[in-house]
Amino acid sequence: MTTRETNMPTTTEAVGARADTIFHGHQDAIYRRVDKLFVVLMLVQWAFAIGLALVFSPYGWAGKVKATHLHVYAAVLLGGAITSLPLLLAWRRPGSVATRHVIACAQMLWSALLIHLSGGRIETHFHVFGSLAFLAFYRDWKVLVPATLVVALDHLVRQIYWPESVYGVTNPEWWRFLEHAFWVAFEDVVLVLACLRGVAELRTISQRQAQVEQLERDKSVALDEALVDLKRSHEARLRSEKLAAVGQLAASVGHELRNPLTAVRNANTYISRRLNDPKTAGAGAAAADPKVLQFVGLIDRELTACTKIIGDLLDFARERPPDLQPCPLRPLIDEAVALLPAHRARVRNEVPEALPVPSLDKDQFRQILINLLQNAVEAARPDREGEVVVTAEGGGDGRPWRLCVADDGAGIPPEVVDKIFEPLFTTKIKGTGLGLAVVANVVRLHGGTIHVDSRPGEGTRVVIELPLAAGQQAA
Amino acid sequence: MRPFRVLVVDDESALRLTVAANLELEGLEVVEAASGEEALALAVAQPFDLVLTDVRMPGMSGVELYRRLREARSDVPVVLMTAFALEALIEQAVQEGAFAVLPKPFDVQDVLPVLIRAMRRPLVLVIDDQALLAETAAAALAASGVRAAAVTDAASALRVVGEGNVDVCVVDLVMPDVSGAELVARIRAADPTIACIAMSGHDVPEMMRRVAASGAFTVLQKPVPISALQRVIAAARARPARGQRPG
Repeated sequence: MTTRETNMPTTTEAVGARADTIFHGHQDAIYRRVDKLFVVLMLVQWAFAIGLALVFSPYGWAGKVKATHLHVYAAVLLGGAITSLPLLLAWRRPGSVATRHVIACAQMLWSALLIHLSGGRIETHFHVFGSLAFLAFYRDWKVLVPATLVVALDHLVRQIYWPESVYGVTNPEWWRFLEHAFWVAFEDVVLVLACLRGVAELRTISQRQAQVEQLERDKSVALDEALVDLKRSHEARLRSEKLAAVGQLAASVGHELRNPLTAVRNANTYISRRLNDPKTAGAGAAAADPKVLQFVGLIDRELTACTKIIGDLLDFARERPPDLQPCPLRPLIDEAVALLPAHRARVRNEVPEALPVPSLDKDQFRQILINLLQNAVEAARPDREGEVVVTAEGGGDGRPWRLCVADDGAGIPPEVVDKIFEPLFTTKIKGTGLGLAVVANVVRLHGGTIHVDSRPGEGTRVVIELPLAAGQQAA
Repeated sequence: MRPFRVLVVDDESALRLTVAANLELEGLEVVEAASGEEALALAVAQPFDLVLTDVRMPGMSGVELYRRLREARSDVPVVLMTAFALEALIEQAVQEGAFAVLPKPFDVQDVLPVLIRAMRRPLVLVIDDQALLAETAAAALAASGVRAAAVTDAASALRVVGEGNVDVCVVDLVMPDVSGAELVARIRAADPTIACIAMSGHDVPEMMRRVAASGAFTVLQKPVPISALQRVIAAARARPARGQRPG
């Protein structure tokens, strides 16, 4: 909040500047629009003047020597002369000060011409008032100044030299000019007030618009800041969750390592005591103890178990993109089966020899097959030999590969089936809870999906579906 | 004298085998059981001097085994092995009088003194000049399965220690005839394997420092709940021999 307060003056200045910009934008738009209006108006007046000259002038000038065709010429030529410069300026310099002042003068000359063509009819003088009103559309009172001067000058000069042209009579009263000037001045006052009011309103509107814009901007900025905050706290939460998960993982793996390490340490103690015992001294005597040999083997097995635990952890922690190579499934499954630890189940590899070859990361896939097969054989029920069947299909005719590992074991209780792919979740007494988490990760990295269908007491089917371009899009 | 008989219980055969082999090498008679159920049947049917059991096993856990043994009126000492440092189960077993808890991984050679100590069924000696306090504490320990005795003066304490079957002394620091630090030093001189747990009713940092320097296992400020005392006794009993291997 403090920052915002210190920013206040700058913000006000910015709003003022923006309001000016908006105001001038509106003004310019008005100037250009009214310029266009006058272009149309003048062309209409020109056509009207020619028509007027053709139809009306002879009667307006009845009894005089003026010839009809002269008025027509005047209408065409003078009208053209009056119209041409404003047209040119409105085309080349729309909205400029010069353009609208020239237009103002030209419009008043049009009044003069029309008054002349109508034989100085008093009704035609209303054209002057109409024109001034039109000019007020500019909302720029200054254009009324040259317009008024032109009207006044025209009336003055013509009253002196050619009164019929402007009043329709040859001897108007000397103050006739003043009477007209008074009404023009009266309208000018009204129009100047209207212009000033219009400009003031325009300013108010611009000011409000700028304020609204500023408000919108402030709101957007606040919203954006809120979103940034949200993102930051989300990231912080993710980080702390990840840290917590890593902590749990470390604890879990640490605990898992303690059992094999205890066995290895005690086996090692036993062997070294046997070797150093003065009564049974000598490697030969120690070798005669069957336990020494047994424990050497045991150390090897337990160290392998430690390696496996660490390997699981690394597989999980280091999520590398799959290195895709064409890899036939049937031999890969044979390899995985050969690497399974001792178990009480029969594993049948029923993957067809002729199955199309998918692109896989061989090491990753062998690992997940081992994890799945190990779960399958461990699920074997105690009362009978388990049977695990691996099947596969698809891979041709635009169909995805479907690899299925099915067992007839104990099944997964429905209340835990949703959790089995979560890291650290395990139902085994000895297990890191990483095996299926690794499986899920690898399948995901290959762009595939994994489904589990399990019936407690009857068995479990795990189905991996790989898209045709297996993994191609995954990296 | 017949050799000590130990029942080793763990579902991990590798761990069970190696621990058993080392105990046999020490001249103990070892019987192995792969589950809590099997161990319970064996312990009820045959005499044992010690049950050394894992905590986490499929089926009956080590703690459950301990309880079932107590229910079967067996007073065989039980030492638990665990890979998990903080487990509510273990805490409960200690409250119920389990002798000690060994954190894995351990080397049988290092923890052998703990096992030998357990098999001797040693006494916890409570020394406090206020007889009521001393006897209440001893009775509370005995009620939860810890063999305990109470004395009210330094001379009696040293006499009982001299009989050779005390492994933990709970010493009140404020005694009329001798300072707490000196009593601890004299007990340790009589039997260096004894762990002294010193207790004080007041916040006396300097005295506590001296007592710790004279070889006390730990110093507690009264009032000490009996459960906390049991936890400290079990920890004192599980301490390995001097020269424990690092890590």
